[in-house]
Amino acid sequence: MKDRIKLLFVICVVAVLAACSFSNPEESISSGDEGASYKNEIKVGLDVDATKLDPRLASDSSSKRVTEVVYNGLIRLNANLEAMPDLAESWENPDELTWIFNLRKDVKFHDGEELTAEDVKYTFDTILDPAFQSNSLALFSPITSVEVIDDYKVQFNLSQPYAPLLSYLEIGIVPKHLAEADSESLTTKPVGTGPYKFESWDKNNKIVLTANKEYWNGAPKTDKLVYFIIPDNSTRVASLESGDIDFIHSPLSASDVERMRGNKDFVTEEKEGVGYTYLNFNMKNDKTADLKVRQAISHLIDKETISKAIYRGMDKPAKSPLIPASWAYSDDVPDFEYSPEKAKELLKEAGYEDTNGDGIVEKNGVDLEIELSTHTEDPNRIQVVEYLQNELSKNGIKTSVTTTEWSTFSNNMMEGKYQVALLGWLNLFDPDRATYNQFHSSSGNNYGKYNNPKVDALLEEGRKTNDQAKRQEIYKEIATIVNEEVAYNVLLYQGYVVIHSKKLVGFESSPNGSFFNMVNVQVEN
Amino acid sequence: MKKIMNKLLQLILVLLGITILVFSLLYLIPGDPAVTLLGQDATQEEINRFKEQMGLNDSYIDQLTRYIGGVIQGDLGKSYIQNESVVDIVLSTLPATLELAIVALIIALLIAIPIGILSAVKRATWIDYLGMIFAQIGVSMPVFWLGLLLILGFSIHLNILPSFGRGGSVFEALIKTITTGNLYYIFESLKYLILPALTLGLMSAAFITRMVRAAMLEVLQMDYVRTADAKGVSDSMIIIKHAFRNALIPIVTIIGLQFGNLLGGAIVTETIFAWPGVGRLIITAISQRDFTVVQGGVLVIAFLFAVINLIVDLLYTLINPRIRS
Repeated sequence: MKDRIKLLFVICVVAVLAACSFSNPEESISSGDEGASYKNEIKVGLDVDATKLDPRLASDSSSKRVTEVVYNGLIRLNANLEAMPDLAESWENPDELTWIFNLRKDVKFHDGEELTAEDVKYTFDTILDPAFQSNSLALFSPITSVEVIDDYKVQFNLSQPYAPLLSYLEIGIVPKHLAEADSESLTTKPVGTGPYKFESWDKNNKIVLTANKEYWNGAPKTDKLVYFIIPDNSTRVASLESGDIDFIHSPLSASDVERMRGNKDFVTEEKEGVGYTYLNFNMKNDKTADLKVRQAISHLIDKETISKAIYRGMDKPAKSPLIPASWAYSDDVPDFEYSPEKAKELLKEAGYEDTNGDGIVEKNGVDLEIELSTHTEDPNRIQVVEYLQNELSKNGIKTSVTTTEWSTFSNNMMEGKYQVALLGWLNLFDPDRATYNQFHSSSGNNYGKYNNPKVDALLEEGRKTNDQAKRQEIYKEIATIVNEEVAYNVLLYQGYVVIHSKKLVGFESSPNGSFFNMVNVQVEN
Repeated sequence: MKKIMNKLLQLILVLLGITILVFSLLYLIPGDPAVTLLGQDATQEEINRFKEQMGLNDSYIDQLTRYIGGVIQGDLGKSYIQNESVVDIVLSTLPATLELAIVALIIALLIAIPIGILSAVKRATWIDYLGMIFAQIGVSMPVFWLGLLLILGFSIHLNILPSFGRGGSVFEALIKTITTGNLYYIFESLKYLILPALTLGLMSAAFITRMVRAAMLEVLQMDYVRTADAKGVSDSMIIIKHAFRNALIPIVTIIGLQFGNLLGGAIVTETIFAWPGVGRLIITAISQRDFTVVQGGVLVIAFLFAVINLIVDLLYTLINPRIRS
C-alpha cells in the first residue's frame, strides 16, 4: 500500500515538472536585437554602494559615479583637468569678483522640464546653506550670492578672487521644481539633465541607469548602464574574468592588477590619478620640528622601492604636491634622493650621534625616537610604514609603528597627536586643493601646523590669479618651498587603474575616475 | 504554557542586555562618526553642527535611554548616512540573509546527516576516516578561501554559475514558477544562491557531521539497540527509527545554534559573493561609522538567534516525550 502511494507521488511530481516550461520570458521580448553586434547593457563592478545620489550631497566615489552621468555641471573637466563647457556654453569674468555663465538653451531634465538659470541658482543657494549640510560647502565658500540675470544667464558674486572656482563647477545642477517639493527625493531618485536616467537602486546590490534618448548632446551608445556592488577586490576581478561584468576600476589590489596586465582577453589601463600619498610631519613635536631631522628622514625614503615592491608599479614615485594629471604639474622641484650617508650627516649637524654604540643616535643622552603612524584600512600603507620603520631603524633612528582605524587616526591627526603620519589626499582637481588646505597656517587641515608667511601669501595669490600660466609659476614656487622645508614628503602619486574586457570598446579613462565617457562605450556580443 | 512564558520573559531580558551592550560598545569605540562621515575636508564648525543635529553631544545616559525608548517602540533610529529608518534598511536586507542561511543549512544537513550516520555505523573503517577527514578539512578551511576557490572553479573555469550578486528573492521566484509553470524563474534565482550557500553550508556541514557521528555512536551502544538487533529488526530500521531518533536531541540543539551562526556568520560569505544581506550591511556600516545601522543589524540578528533558541527548546518536547512531562 505504502509503495503504491510513493509511486503515485512520484508520478504526480514528474507530471507537474513535465507540464512546466523552461524559457527566458525577457529573451523573447528583446529577440529583435539578435542581429545586433553590441550588447544593450554595460555592466560595471564598484567596490561600495552609493550613499546619496543628490550631487550636492554626494561625497563618496560610488555616488559620484552615478551623479556624473545622471547630471551635468556648468563645466566638465577634461583629461588635463581643465574646464570645458557643459551646461554653460561660455563664461566671462568681467572683474575679479564676478563670473557670468551663459547656459545652453536646449537642455531638459529627465522629467521633461527645461533647465534654466533658476535651477543653477537654487543648486548653489542650497549648497551654500549650512543647514543643508553639503560636503561641498567649503569649496564654494567664497561665493556670496548667485544672481539670475535672465533664463539662460547666471552670475556668481564672490567675496574674494577665487581662481579654483571653475574646476569645482563640475557639480551637478538639480531641478529646482523637484528639489523644492521634496528635499529628500533626489537622494534616492535622482533626476538630472545627463546622458543616463536613473531607473532603480537595489541597495547593496545594483544601480540601474538607462540611456536618455533625448540627451542634448546625443544619446549614449548603449541602452543600459548597470553598477553592481562587489565589495571584495578579488571577487570583483574574478567576476570580470568570468564575464559577469565588463568593467572595473580602482581601488584594486596591486597583485590582481599585476596578474591582469598579462591577460590578453582584458585591457588594463593605468594612469596617474588625482591623489597623492604623503608623510605628514608634526611641526609641534620637538623631534620633528627640527628641519634637519625631517630632511634626514627624507633621505632615508626610497620611493622607487616603495612604488615597485609594495604598489607593484600601480602608484608612481612622487616629487611634490602637484600631481602629474594636472596642468599645474612641474617636474622641476627639488626632492630628496635616497642616501643614508646624507641622512647621517644631517643628523650629525642636528646634534644626533651614536655616542654609546647602541646603534641609535642621541642628543644630550636622549635617543632619537620617531613614531610612524597610519590607518589600518589600507594594507599597502601599513607595509609602507613597516618598510620605513626598518629603513629608519637601520640608520640609527629608533622607530615605532602605530596603526589605528581611520576614525581614530584622523581624530589624532586633527588633535596633533602624532609625529610622522602616512596618509593621502584625493580629488585634487585644482592645485589650490592640493596645497591651500594643506599648508596655509590658518587651515584646519594643516595638521602639522606648518607655518610660513611666504607660503601663506603665495597660496592667497594662487587663489586670486586667474591666468593659468601665472598660477603654474606660483604653485611651482609653493611646491619648491614646502619640499625644501619638508612640510610634507609626498611619496607617491596615486594611480588610477581601469580593467575591462577586450569586447568593451570606446572608453577613455579620466584621471578623476569619471564615468562620463560611458556614453561612448559599447560591448561587443 | 508557563514554560513558554518563562522563556519569553528571558528573551526580553536578553534583548535588553544586548541593546545596552551593543550601544555601549559602539559608544566606547574610538573614532568620531562625524569626522568619518563629513570627510577630511570638513571644518570643526561643520562637525559640531552635525553632532548637535544627531544628538551626539548628549551624555551617554541620555543617548542610551533615548535609544532604548525607541527600541521598545520599534524605532531603531535613522541611519546617519542614508537618512532612512534603520528598521527599513535592516528589514530590506533580512530576506537575503534568511534565504542564504536556510539554503546553507539544508545543504549542511543533506551532507552532514548521511556522512555522520555512515561514519558512526562504519566506525573505524575507511568510510569513517574519509568522513572525518572531510569534517576536519571543512572545520579548518577559511570561508573566504573556499569561496574564492568555488568562484575560480565554477565561474571562471567552468563558467556555469555567476560569481556574485543575488538573482532576486527565491520565494518570489518560486511563486512565479508555480503560477506561470515556467521553471526559468526558480532556476535563475537559485543559480545565484548555489555558490554562497555551498560555501556557508560546507562549514556547517563539517561541524554537524562530527556531532551526528558522536551522538549516533553513543546511542548505538545502548541496550535497546542491541535488543532490537536481537529481535531481528533490520539494520536500516534500527539506524533510522531506533538510533537516529534518539540521537536527535543533541543534533537539534547544534542545528539550532548553527542556524544562528549562519545568520550572523554569513558576513564573510556575503562580502565575498556581494550578497546583499544583513552581514554585509553591518560590515559596511561599521566602516562608515553608521552606528545606528550597526546597532539595528546586530539587534535583529540577536533577536533571531534568541527566537531560534526558543524554537529549539520547544522542539525538544516534540522529539522527546519525556521532556513534555
